[in-house]
Amino acid sequence: MNKPSTQQAILVYTLLGIALIVFMTPIYLIASSSVKPSPIMFQKPPAMIFEPTLDHYRDLFAMRPFGKFIGNSLMVALGSTAFSVFFGSIAAYAISRIKHKRMNDVAFWILSMRMFPPIAVVVPYYIIFKTVGLLDTPIALIIVYSTANIPLTVWLMKGFFDEVPTALEEAAAVDGHGLISIFWKVTLPLAAPGLAVSAVFCFIFSWNEFLFALMLTGSNAQTAPVAVMSFWSSDAVQWGRIMAGSFVILIPGVVFVLTCQRWLVRGLTMGSVK
Amino acid sequence: MSEITLRNVIKRYGAVEVVHGIDLDVEEGEFVVLLGPSGCGKTTTLRMVAGLEDVSDGNLSIGETRVNEVAPKDRGVAMVFQNYALYPHMTVRQNMEFALKPLGLSAKEVARRVDEIANMLGLSELMARRPAQLSGGQRQRVAMGRAMVRTPDVFLFDEPLSNLDAKLRTQVRLEIAKLHNRLGTTVLYVTHDQVEAMTLADKIVIMRDGHIEQVGTPEQVYSQPDNMFVATFIGSPPMNMIPAQVRERELQANGLALKVPPRFEGRLAEGQSVTIGIRPNGLSLAGAEMPNAAPARVEVTEYLGNEALLDLRVGPHELIAEVPALGRPAPGTEISVQFDPDAIHLFDTETGASLSR
Ligand SMILES: Nc1ncnc2c1ncn2[C@@H]1O[C@H](COP(=O)(O)OP(=O)(O)O)[C@@H](O)[C@H]1O
Ligand SMILES: [Mg+2]
Repeated sequence: MNKPSTQQAILVYTLLGIALIVFMTPIYLIASSSVKPSPIMFQKPPAMIFEPTLDHYRDLFAMRPFGKFIGNSLMVALGSTAFSVFFGSIAAYAISRIKHKRMNDVAFWILSMRMFPPIAVVVPYYIIFKTVGLLDTPIALIIVYSTANIPLTVWLMKGFFDEVPTALEEAAAVDGHGLISIFWKVTLPLAAPGLAVSAVFCFIFSWNEFLFALMLTGSNAQTAPVAVMSFWSSDAVQWGRIMAGSFVILIPGVVFVLTCQRWLVRGLTMGSVK
Repeated sequence: MSEITLRNVIKRYGAVEVVHGIDLDVEEGEFVVLLGPSGCGKTTTLRMVAGLEDVSDGNLSIGETRVNEVAPKDRGVAMVFQNYALYPHMTVRQNMEFALKPLGLSAKEVARRVDEIANMLGLSELMARRPAQLSGGQRQRVAMGRAMVRTPDVFLFDEPLSNLDAKLRTQVRLEIAKLHNRLGTTVLYVTHDQVEAMTLADKIVIMRDGHIEQVGTPEQVYSQPDNMFVATFIGSPPMNMIPAQVRERELQANGLALKVPPRFEGRLAEGQSVTIGIRPNGLSLAGAEMPNAAPARVEVTEYLGNEALLDLRVGPHELIAEVPALGRPAPGTEISVQFDPDAIHLFDTETGASLSR
């Protein structure tokens, strides 16, 4: 690539700066409000300089078992991510490799399952889980989130598997390896960026999901976003705690994305088949 | 080591048949080359032997066993792919080890075998590199090394030299020949390059359009081609072909009349349409009064060092002659060209079949 000119550089950095401001402002507001003493929370113009306090965080963990809700969220999000990425990858592999003229239709059919409006199915889910005794358990949420995450993973991973040259799998077959060994040691490592992308999408969707979590859980399996909203009651809205809770919720997502990022490398198949 | 046997093997893709019932025997320890123009079904045939393509019909055996339904991993074959197909996420050492994993050897034995082959192929310095960090020639050797560590019963090569430059190709060709002499493993080798085929093969199988045209030693396919296709495909520059008719014990072509060589006496019918085939080195410069000579005009000369190629026009025919470079005629000269009767091949113009046997 050519070295960008100064003008190009200025343009790029200006756009980046604007994007940064747009995306970071809410996060700044959450972070600053979470350490702002309640009395000056809604001062106008907003107080920029104040004595930070950790009161909201203390309240957050003292008044309700917020640590447990974070744990629930983690369990549900990681569980659904693992489940979806595993089964989604296997399905995607089959769709990518089986040559059949209707295979694209199968792929689309799977993706279409992600298109239903959640509100339409939340009541049936409620009834089903109540009947089988899974209401208010992390398993219920793992199942529900996976029904949304698996189609997405299938769709994403199919694209990545399509990019892995079949010649490599044939080489492995002639080298004496069976299907599972080939998939595990040749194909999947070369589709690792796809795994990372899928995992990020699955995790973030499960971590942020609100509607199902609200309807299908109670005090036992409640997730962090629902717990945060419970500080919004009819008589009082405890903004400080909501902000503190929101900020805590941000952290695992950021950590997870940064962890996955190191797998997002390009050109993994370079040097294999020219 | 094993022999390979194909009996009436057919390959269809959907309704399209691309390999039409071929029979082939590769003896134990033999180096057999499948040779033919691009698209004639060489790769398809090789891939059926490897188990990467289903056999649509017929019998395929390796050793004593019918392997039509046997998975590639259980066939005891190793293959070098045209594009090498190295595992990009593994180092050279891991690439070679990966081929040994299924054998369940001890770590020590794995290391010993890998090091031995790496030494033999001069890969020892490269063991920690990944394929992307290797040159084309090095990748080719890794691909060979990966196939060799398994000490397979059968080696399959699909145009292994086609991605190398000319100099490297000659060098690696020689290495492959040496390796075969040393290991004595059965080899089935695909190429469209006749020089590779002639230099490497014990036996050449010439294919066209999914059929086998001739099977024979390099000498046989060169000096006794079964048909016009083989005659023109083997040899460079190719054999000159001149359509002619048999009249009064002569082969008469436009601007040319040759005596029917004695070995064809009694095999030809008066008036039969035949094609005269003669290699460039079967033509020589001669005095006009010599028998079997014809007047010719030199159009172009190509100097090759020891020899020169003359592009000749004899009547309406364009012929190539290979003559000693010393004293070659200049372009534009009118000369007389002589046809060596022993070098003449005759083919049935209609069927293309050789009339020599
Ligand atoms: N997967 C396939 N589907 C349909 N036709 C194919 C396929 N693979 C090869 N062919 C056809 O089979 C013929 C032989 O191909 P191939 O064996 O690759 O030729 P070669 O190796 O001699 O150049 C070609 O006409 C090719 O188009
Ligand atoms: Mg080919």
